[in-house]
Amino acid sequence: MSNDQRLLDVTKSEWIKFRSVRSSVMGVVVFFVLTLGLGGLISWAVRSHWNTTSQLDKLTFDPVSTSLAGILFAQFAVGVIGVLFITSEYSSGSIRTTLAAVSNRTRLVSAKIVVLILSIVVVSEVVCFATFLVGQAVFKGVVPTASLGTADVLRSVLLAGVYLTLLTVIGFSLGLIVRHSAACISIFVTILLIVPIVFAFLPSSWQDSYEKYLPSELGRSMMSPFAPANDLGAWHALLLLLAYVVVAFVVGLTMMIRRDA
Amino acid sequence: MLTIDHLTKKYDGTVAVDDLNFDVKPGVVTGFLGPNGSGKSTTMRIILGLDHATKGRATIDGKNYSDLKSPLREVGALLDAKAVHPGRTARNHLRALAVSNRIKTSRVDEVLEFTGIASVADKKVGGYSLGMSQRLGIAAALLGDPHVLLFDEPVNGLDPEGIRWIREFFRSLALEGRTVFVSSHLMSEMALTADQIIVIGRGRLITQGSVDDLTATAHGTVSVRASNRDVLAAALKQKGATVELANDNALSVSGLTSDEVGETAFAAGVAVYELTPQRASLEEVFMDLTAESVEYGGSTPGAYPHE
Repeated sequence: MSNDQRLLDVTKSEWIKFRSVRSSVMGVVVFFVLTLGLGGLISWAVRSHWNTTSQLDKLTFDPVSTSLAGILFAQFAVGVIGVLFITSEYSSGSIRTTLAAVSNRTRLVSAKIVVLILSIVVVSEVVCFATFLVGQAVFKGVVPTASLGTADVLRSVLLAGVYLTLLTVIGFSLGLIVRHSAACISIFVTILLIVPIVFAFLPSSWQDSYEKYLPSELGRSMMSPFAPANDLGAWHALLLLLAYVVVAFVVGLTMMIRRDA
Repeated sequence: MLTIDHLTKKYDGTVAVDDLNFDVKPGVVTGFLGPNGSGKSTTMRIILGLDHATKGRATIDGKNYSDLKSPLREVGALLDAKAVHPGRTARNHLRALAVSNRIKTSRVDEVLEFTGIASVADKKVGGYSLGMSQRLGIAAALLGDPHVLLFDEPVNGLDPEGIRWIREFFRSLALEGRTVFVSSHLMSEMALTADQIIVIGRGRLITQGSVDDLTATAHGTVSVRASNRDVLAAALKQKGATVELANDNALSVSGLTSDEVGETAFAAGVAVYELTPQRASLEEVFMDLTAESVEYGGSTPGAYPHE
C-alpha cells in the first residue's frame, strides 16, 4: 500500500486535533446548553405569561422561532468554535508543525473544513430538533404548538441547524483571513450583532431594501415557517448565505496559500 | 541531500536571506551558524515550505518540500519547541501527526520512549518545561524515520545531560547515513557537535567547510618574548608583520609564522625567551567572521553606563 498522504489521512488527523483540545469540546457544550437551555427557558416564560399576552401578539406568535430563540445566543458559540479551530494554530505556533506534516495547504484546509462541518452539522441538527421538541412540549395545552409533520416547520428546524453550521464556516474563514482569535471573534460579533443594531437607526426605506441581506436576517428567514412581506424566503436566504460562505472561504483559502505561515 | 540554490527572501524591503547557496550532505552533522537575526530560521522555514522564497529555491533530493508525498517520512524538523497547542497532550499531538502521514501509531510510543518523555505523554504540553518541549519536538521529528533532519537551536533549554545526549544522538543519526542540519548561534556548541560548518551573517554565506579547515585558515598569531622588545618589533614590522604589545611584555605578531618570527629575531640579534604560535579557536574565527554582520550588537563589556 502506498504511503502517499491523502485527504482522508489529514481529515483523521484533524479530527484527533479537534476533539483533543478543551476549546472545541467546551464550545460544543456551551452551544448545547445555550440553545437548549435558553430555548426551554424562553418557551416556559411565554407559556406562563400567555394569559396576559395581547391578542395581536397571539395572532403573530410563531412557536417554531420562539422555541429556537436560544440560537440567537448559541450562534456566537458556534462561530467561536470555527474561529478557534484555525486561529489557535496561529496563536500557539503549531501551524508550523501542522504545515510541515501537511505541506499541501489546500488539503489541510479542506480536511479542517470537513471535520468542522461534519461535527457541527450533527451537533446542530441534534440540538435544534431537541430544542424544538422541548419547546413544543412546554407549550402543549396552553400555547399553540407546531408539528414536524408540517413541511414548513420541518424545513425551519432543519435549516436552523444548517444556519449554525454555515456560521461556523464563516468563523473559520475569518480565522484564515485574520489569524488572530480576538480580532476574528470581534468581527464575527460585529457582523451578527452590531450591524443589525446600526441598521435599526437607518431610514426605514433602507431597512426594507437592505436589511434582509444581513446574515442574521437570512438566518431568521431560514428558521421561520412563515414568510413575512419583506423577506427573501427560506430557500433564497439559504442560497445567499451559502454564497457569502463560499466567498469568505475562497478568500481565506487563497490568502492562506499565498502567505508565509 | 539538502540543496540551497541561490535563495533570497525579502520581507517588506528588508533582506533576510541574500542569495544563499550551499549543499548539506548526508552522513555528517552540518552546523548552520550565524548570529541572531542572520537568517538561519528563515532559511529553515523556506526549506520546510512554510515561507515562500522571493528568489531561488531549497530542495530535498531535488524536490520542493511541497512536492513530497509524505513529508514526515522524508524530513523531520524541530523549529520551535513551543509550537504545539498547549491544551493537547504529547501523545495526541504525536498521534495526529502520525495519522496525517500514514505512520503507524505504535511509532508514537517508540519515539516517546526514545526521547524519555513517555511518563508525561498524557499530560498537557502547556505544562512542559522548555527541555521537555524540546524532547517532544525531537520525538515529532523522528516520527516518520526521515532521512533528512533539521534542528533549529536544539540545545536551547536543555540541561548539560540533555546537551550531551543530543550530541551523541546527532552523531548516531549521521552515522546511519542521514542528513543532519543543525542551527546554532553558539560556535562552541557546534565545534563539539558538527563535522561540517556553514557560517552566515546578514543572510549571506560567509564561509563553509570542516571544523578543522576553518580553524586552519584562520590567521593565528605568534606570541614572542625577547631580550630587546623594541628592536624586535621594528624588525618584524619591516618584514610586514602587524605587531601588538601583549601583556607580560610579550609581542603578539600576526602575518608571520613562528619560524619566520624566530629567524627575524636571530637576524636582528635579539635573544628569544619564548616563542608560542597561538592557534585561533573556532570561537574567535566565528567572532572574526561575523563581526561585521551582527545585527544587534551590544557594547563592549565595561562600557555599561554608570551614573
